[in-house]
Amino acid sequence: MALIDKVLAGYTATLWMQDDVTPTPLTDAQLSTWTAQVANIVGTTAGGTGTAGMAVPVEAIPAFGADDAVASYSVAGARTGAKITTQNQVTSMNITCAWNPADPAMLQIRDDGYGGVTVRTYVVAVYDGTDTVAYAFNAMVGGMQWDMSPSAEGKFMFTLHPVGGNSYGWTTNS
Amino acid sequence: MSTQQNPSVYAQCIQYQLSDIVSVPVYANFNRNWATEPQFLTWNLRNVHQPVYTGQDQNNKGIDRPIFQINVFSKDMDTAFNLSNTILQSLHGYSGMFGNPATNGFWLAKADVFWLYNTYDNEIKLHQIVLDCQLDVLT
Repeated sequence: MALIDKVLAGYTATLWMQDDVTPTPLTDAQLSTWTAQVANIVGTTAGGTGTAGMAVPVEAIPAFGADDAVASYSVAGARTGAKITTQNQVTSMNITCAWNPADPAMLQIRDDGYGGVTVRTYVVAVYDGTDTVAYAFNAMVGGMQWDMSPSAEGKFMFTLHPVGGNSYGWTTNS
Repeated sequence: MSTQQNPSVYAQCIQYQLSDIVSVPVYANFNRNWATEPQFLTWNLRNVHQPVYTGQDQNNKGIDRPIFQINVFSKDMDTAFNLSNTILQSLHGYSGMFGNPATNGFWLAKADVFWLYNTYDNEIKLHQIVLDCQLDVLT
């Protein structure tokens, strides 16, 4: 089976990240290569090998993909105009985690956000128990916030800002 | 990110804590034989639930916010109200050690008491006051 061919529960999605303190993000070609590249970041529980990655325990995977991007023009006094599709930008992801100050992934993300220069490969993996479809992209951490509302667990929120229009890729394990 | 807590520990700590607050007998659940006593408490634990978050990792959960109901029984109404007030003064907004610190007591982030209603049971001839107490438990 080349791809997952069933309607999935959103719950099957997980977020993974490279686990090195100073990672070498995957190249554009590697982001579209499962074996020995994306598979190494995705853990075994989601169908990968997990040799170079760790899970980020997020509450839910936000919408991911590409932003809408067009160049448009119009002519004053006329109905003439057009929208021209341009190279779409990879969308930023606003992530919420239940804050656990002992979790290595959250600590690494906090360090990345504090430093402000680390580019790291992140992977959203969707797993049906047999096969995985992965969306990999290179991003920096921004917009870190902690929300300690007294009526629930404390939240750690941050945004993954993708770098470069082509630094993302889709892969599958088979 | 946390593992599932053991409700048995909650139960032991609730029993310990209520017994520490009041000087009347404290029981889990109601037994009509106790209706011969002039005043006592019963409690029931419910709504044990840690929210589960996405993915195959079973430990991707939030904090537990279980509720235990307290039923205060007394032969006279005034005692029932005063016993309930003692619980309210002690537990509502409480943050600190909950349960026996020498055994399985744990640090409680918050206890939130909600006084539901008072009533009278003509069959057992006892006034009764029902309170809910929600616990915010770190994991």
